[in-house]
Order: sequence, then structure tokens, then C-alpha cells
Amino acid sequence: MTPPPPPPPLLQLSNVRYRYPGAERDALTDVSLSVAARQFHAVLGPNGSGKTTLVRIALGALTPFVGQAAVDGRIASTWPRQELARLVGVVPQREDNLFPQRVRETVLLGRYPHLSLWGRERAEDHDAVDRALAACDAQHLADRWLWTLSGGEYQRVRVARALAQQPKLLVLDEPGMSLDLKHEMGLFELVLGLVETQGLGVLMITHDLNLAARFTDSLLLLDAGRPVASGVPGDVLTQQTVETVFSWPVAMQTVDGRPQMIPLRQPKESRP
Amino acid sequence: MLRRLLFAVLVLAACRPDGWTAGRPAQRIISLLPSFTEILFAIGAGDRVVGRTQWCDYPPAALAVPSVGEGLPPNIEAVMARRPDLVVLYNAGPNVTAAKQLERVGIHTVLIDLNRLEDLGPATRTLGRLTGFEVVAESLATVLDSLAGRPPPVSTTSLAFVVWDNPPIIIGHGSYLDQLAAQAGARNVFSDVAAPSAQVSLETIVARDPQWIAVLSDSAAPPGFAKRREWRAVRAVRDGHFLLLPGSSFGRPGPRSGEAIQQLRALLAR
Amino acid sequence: MRWALLGIVAALALVLSVVLGPAAVPLGELLRSDIVWNLRAPRALLAFLVGGSLGVAGAGLQALVRNPLADPFLLGLSGGAGLGAVVAIGLHLSGPWALPIAAFIGALAALGLVYRLGLIGGASLDPRILLLGGVAIGAFAAAITTAIVSLADAAELRNAFLWLWGGLSGASWDSVLLVALYAPIPLAVLLAASRPLDLLALGEESAGYLGADVEAVKRRVYLAASLLTAAAVAVSGVIGFVGLVVPHIARLVWGHRHRSLLPAAFIGGGALLAFADTLARTVVAPRELPVGVVTALIGVPVFALLLRRWTIA
Repeated sequence: MTPPPPPPPLLQLSNVRYRYPGAERDALTDVSLSVAARQFHAVLGPNGSGKTTLVRIALGALTPFVGQAAVDGRIASTWPRQELARLVGVVPQREDNLFPQRVRETVLLGRYPHLSLWGRERAEDHDAVDRALAACDAQHLADRWLWTLSGGEYQRVRVARALAQQPKLLVLDEPGMSLDLKHEMGLFELVLGLVETQGLGVLMITHDLNLAARFTDSLLLLDAGRPVASGVPGDVLTQQTVETVFSWPVAMQTVDGRPQMIPLRQPKESRP
Repeated sequence: MLRRLLFAVLVLAACRPDGWTAGRPAQRIISLLPSFTEILFAIGAGDRVVGRTQWCDYPPAALAVPSVGEGLPPNIEAVMARRPDLVVLYNAGPNVTAAKQLERVGIHTVLIDLNRLEDLGPATRTLGRLTGFEVVAESLATVLDSLAGRPPPVSTTSLAFVVWDNPPIIIGHGSYLDQLAAQAGARNVFSDVAAPSAQVSLETIVARDPQWIAVLSDSAAPPGFAKRREWRAVRAVRDGHFLLLPGSSFGRPGPRSGEAIQQLRALLAR
Repeated sequence: MRWALLGIVAALALVLSVVLGPAAVPLGELLRSDIVWNLRAPRALLAFLVGGSLGVAGAGLQALVRNPLADPFLLGLSGGAGLGAVVAIGLHLSGPWALPIAAFIGALAALGLVYRLGLIGGASLDPRILLLGGVAIGAFAAAITTAIVSLADAAELRNAFLWLWGGLSGASWDSVLLVALYAPIPLAVLLAASRPLDLLALGEESAGYLGADVEAVKRRVYLAASLLTAAAVAVSGVIGFVGLVVPHIARLVWGHRHRSLLPAAFIGGGALLAFADTLARTVVAPRELPVGVVTALIGVPVFALLLRRWTIA
């Protein structure tokens, strides 16, 4: 009797290479990454290092030239969008709000992948919305207009919308941008809680090294589309890799067993 | 009354330019309205007409005169190229501007009203005076005046002039065609509409139930809308009671207006 | 409650447009009158169907091009229809349906060109280019139309403009039947796209992540909305403001969710046009106002109020 094969990782990128049409250089070169259930994975890198391209490839919006991206064992670009949305919830970096809407309505949008073409929302859909709002500690916001929310509240609502999709994998693209300390920490705690209590796999794109190092299980550090290092935070975030990738002198310390980076002032004589 | 006054002022204004008086008849005339062309030929000034509009198709001799285009508004350069000493224009918005432009380059112009039967006599006299054919013009004008002054006969039938079918546009009171119908013994069912032409609902035509639908048309076939289902609600359309009136003889007031009345009367008596 | 109210308004608009008219029809003879059966009833129904179609097409296009000022006629269809009508008159095509068919073909040609332009950046339909291309193609077609009208001899060509802005005078049971058979298909396509259209308001990328097949939705919505508008222009000419204002009013009352917004825009648009046409026929009777004048007279103030509201908000 052989044990059943292990389930495929939720997300797997193998040796992915991509170049935008007309671009001079590759946006991503030879990138591999794997996210399993109950795993909090972060992708780090400076602006323009290919982080958002990686998300697009992981979700099948772009097809790699070389290598492949698979979600739950199936090539990402071959997933029907609606089925994929039941498996992967995404909090994109930016989105529009063409028409004013309330929080509950916007979270209900997360139920769309579960609805049939002509069917109405069922009781279970409203339950899922309530649970998602509760998980994000946002029930009290349910009847507020979206435009009245603070930046931190808005991000929680967007996470709640992704949770309403009842996904196995959650993808967040720079969710902490423009949040103050309390809200940014709150958001990371929230996401980590989802990993631990609900068994979600999480892929988070961020350029906040310290928070990523504090909260996540594994990191991928990108520089100009190339993987510089990957693995547990302690291995990836060394003074040498960080200084190379971010082109700035840093010092490294350890807090709670995790590496933390402190950017240094430039010596006086080399200041611009 | 006001219109006559305005007309007189305009004629006076047109006559004022120096070097030209009523005493020296025009020798090279451009007529920018088919009605004027007909009147000029009718009073014997046809050989002085050196330019006409593309619509001037009567009398046949007029077709030998070079055309200067549409006429409303006139093509100033085409008019100038004919070296006229008098340009006769229909008194309407764009023509007033054109007349001013022509005056500025030294070409004499006259703006004449010609909308209704009673305008015919004065217009004929004016043209007679400008060309030196006062006597012939006066006798023609007298005939035309009598047309306008004649009390219309008691109408024995009714009609509606349909200019366009979608949306339906009809001829109202105060227009030449309305007078023509009255003189021919037919009541225009839209003579209560004050405008020369107006958009109406089809159901109004149905409700007013004219015995005839009159259409200006050079074709012998009933108009296209005769086959449309909504138009068949009109009794005259269902019965095929169309009066197809050639535009050349019915569409404009002129020396042949008397004939047009006779012809319409004959058509109605069928 | 609001649905009941809307239903009452729509029923009232339909009843009024059958009862009221420039011709006096005694109430007792209403059901036997030829005027009511063959003129008012088909005209009221055509007004309702066309108004509803324009309302839905407008709501769909506003969500598609992500511009709340989009109007179904903004995308070049009126220019194409006008050109078609002028060509039909110029070629002396006869027959009772020559003009509507020619206008429909003209509108379809414009639709095809604008669609092709929208794909100019590759396989993805770009709503911004749809908008710009629509305006450009519309202006181009209008220029050719004007050139033909001013160069050709036939004075009747000018009537093509009358026809293009003609409104609902051409209503008959034939045209009602035609629209009633034709419109449900694009209407169903738009209604089926309600949920993806909701998602599209978040932007194309987010909509995709929430399960919408964005490219397919954009194409379907553009084609369905334009086909509705092309049919509307063929049976009733260009009627402005219904497709612009009705979706906005419906959004104020029903919110932005297309599953209720689209049906509300249909019933509301139908009621507005039926009502506007009743006014057009009766206020200056026996004369008639072009119905586009009435929709603009009602629509522009409402629209100005909405704009004010938005710029303040």
C-alpha cells in the first residue's frame, strides 16, 4: 500500500521567464516559487523588480515564454476565470470605484464566482459575506459608503471581499502601501491569523522587508526580474543581499528570531 | 401691410445706389428664383436674362440661359462671372447677406418677396419697372392681382398637402399652396395651422380625414409612404386619393398660377 | 415598493399615450377607434421598446467605457445611420422600408469600424479607443453626409435629416413586431452580463480576479448595446438623452448593480420616451414637436442637477 501522492501546491511557478512585448529586457527571468496551504509567502524587491508581473503570471493573466505557472496543479492560464476566482482571492494594488457603493455590496462582489448566470444571491452567500466581514473585524463597517472609509478600513474591506470568495489561496499586492504603522501591523496580523486559523495559503507582494521578515514563512527576493535569494527570512535577508538589491547601506539586527533591517545614513562626503 | 412696407423700403434701398436709376432698364439680369425667371420671360424680358438657377426650368427657352447654381444662397462668384447689371433675389435670410455682398462689388440687386398669390402683382410690376417693360408687366400684374383678389369658391372637397412623411410635414395657412387649394375649391384641412409648413401627428391627418392627399411629385406613381402600414390609417391613402402635382407648375407662384388653379380644379373633379 | 412605483409610472405613461392625442377620441370609443388601434397603440409600444432599449444600451455602455457621460449615440451610430439614409434617398431606393434598412446598415457599418478601431491595440478591446473612435467615425460619417447633401441636386436629400431626427412618426404594428422580435436578444445578452458589468466598475484587472471573463464581456456588451441602438435609430431616428439620463436616474434609485439597474433602466427609459412622445404630440397640437426636443427638455435639466450633485459630492 503506497501513501496517496501529496496534494499539489496551491501555486507553483517553475523557471518562469517573461518579457513584455516591445520591452528591451525580461521582466522576469528564471523565477520559481511555491505556495502551499497554511503557508505565508512574500515576494520582496524594489520598485520595478517584477513583483506585479509575477502576480499576473501566477494568476494566468500573462503567459510565461519559458517555464510555467500552475494553480492547484493546473496551468494558470487555462483556468476558466470564474473557477479560478473560487480558488484564489486577490487584493490588487489599485482598483477603481466608478460608482459609489456600500461596504456590504462591495464584499458581496466576492460571491460572484459562486453565483450562477441568472441565480440570485442565496442565504449562504450572505452568510459568507458576514463571515468574511467578521474575520476582518469589519462588521461595523458593513453599511458605510466605501468613500467614507480610512485607508486601513478600506484595505480590510478588500481583504474581506477576497475572503468572501472562499479561496484556498490569497494574493495581496502591496496591501500595506500608504497605511500607518497601526493599520499596517493590523493588516499583517489579520493575514497571518487567516493563515493560521483558516489554513489559507498567502502570497504577498511587498517592499516592506521588516514586516515580511516578521510575519512570513518564506521569502523570494527579486532584483530586476531575477531571483536573488529565496527561503526562510533568516537566509534571505542578509546585509549583503539587501544592500545589493536595494542599493543602500543597511545594518541587520534580529528581533524575535527574525532579521530586521535598519537603513544607514550615507557618509557625509558621499551625500549628493 | 407691414410686409408691403418692408418690401417698399427694400426696393428703395436697392434702387438707391448712384449711377443707376429706374430710368435705365437693366440689360443683363440674373434671376435667382424660378418664379422671377418665369415672370421675366412672361413680360418679354427673357432675352435680358443672362443667368438663372438650376431649378429654373420654365419656359423652355430659359433652359438655354446659363445656370449659376442653386440660388439660395447664391454662389457670388458664379453670379459675378456673368457680369450682370441686376440681380433679382428672393427676399430671405441668406439672400439678404448675399445682396449686400453683391452691392459691395458694385452689382445692383433687388430683393423681392414672393410667398403668396398677392405678392405676384407687385413683384411683376417691380420687374417690369426695372426692365422697362412696364406696360406688359402691368397687364400681367392686373391678371395676377385678380387671382389673388378673387374670393375663393365654396369648397366642395378637402385635401392635405404632405411635404414629407416621416415625420409628417404638411402645408398650413398662409402659404401659396393653401391659397391654390382654396381657389381650386378644396379646403386645406390644415388651414388652421399658422405656419407655412409644420410637423403634425399622423393621427391628426386621420382625424381631419382629407378627401385627397396632395403631394408635389414629378412622378406618376403614388409616393412611397402610400404603402406604409401606419399611413393606411388615413382614408385618402387607403382609397388611393393622391393628387400628384408636378413641382414646376404647382410648387411656385408665377404667371402660370391661374393655370395651376384650373388644373387642380380639374384633378379634383375627376 | 420602488418596483411597484416604477410599474405604475410605466403603466400610466402607456395609458396616457393611448388615451391622449391631438385627435379627440371619446373615451367610450377608445377601444374601437382606428386611431387608437392603428396609430396610438403601436406608437406607444414602439416608444416604450425604443426608450427601454436606449436606457439599457446607455447603462451598459457607461459601465463598459467607464465614463458616466457616455450616450448610446456617442459611438458613431447616428452618423452611420444618417449616411445610410442619405445614400438610400440619393440612390432613389424605394419601398416603405428602404430608409430604415439603409440607416440600419449604415449604423452597422459604423459599429463595425469603431469595433475594429477598438481592437487596434491588439486582441484587447480598449474602451477609451472605442469612445474616441466612435466620436471620430461619427464625425467622419456626418461630414460625408453633409458633402453628399450639399453636392447632390435632389432637394429631397435634405429630408434625410428630417428623417434622422424624425422620432416615432413611423410607428406601426410592423415596426413594433420587428423591434419586439429583435430587441430581446441583445437585451438578454446585456442582462446576462450584469454581474461582470458590476465587477468591471472595479477596473479590468480586479474584474478578472473576481471571475469575470473581461474580454468576452467587453465585446458582448459593446456589440449588444450597439445593435440595440442601431435598431432604435432605424425605427425612430436619433432620440437623445434617454440613453444618457435614464441610467443615471435608475442608478440613483436602484444603485449600481446591473441586475436591478438594467431592468429599471428598461422600464424607466420606456416610460420616459412614451411620456415624452405623448407631450410631443399633444402640447402644440395640431402641430407636433420633434420628440428629441422633449426628451432633451426633460433630460438636460435632470442631467444638470445630477452633474451638480456629483461635482459637489
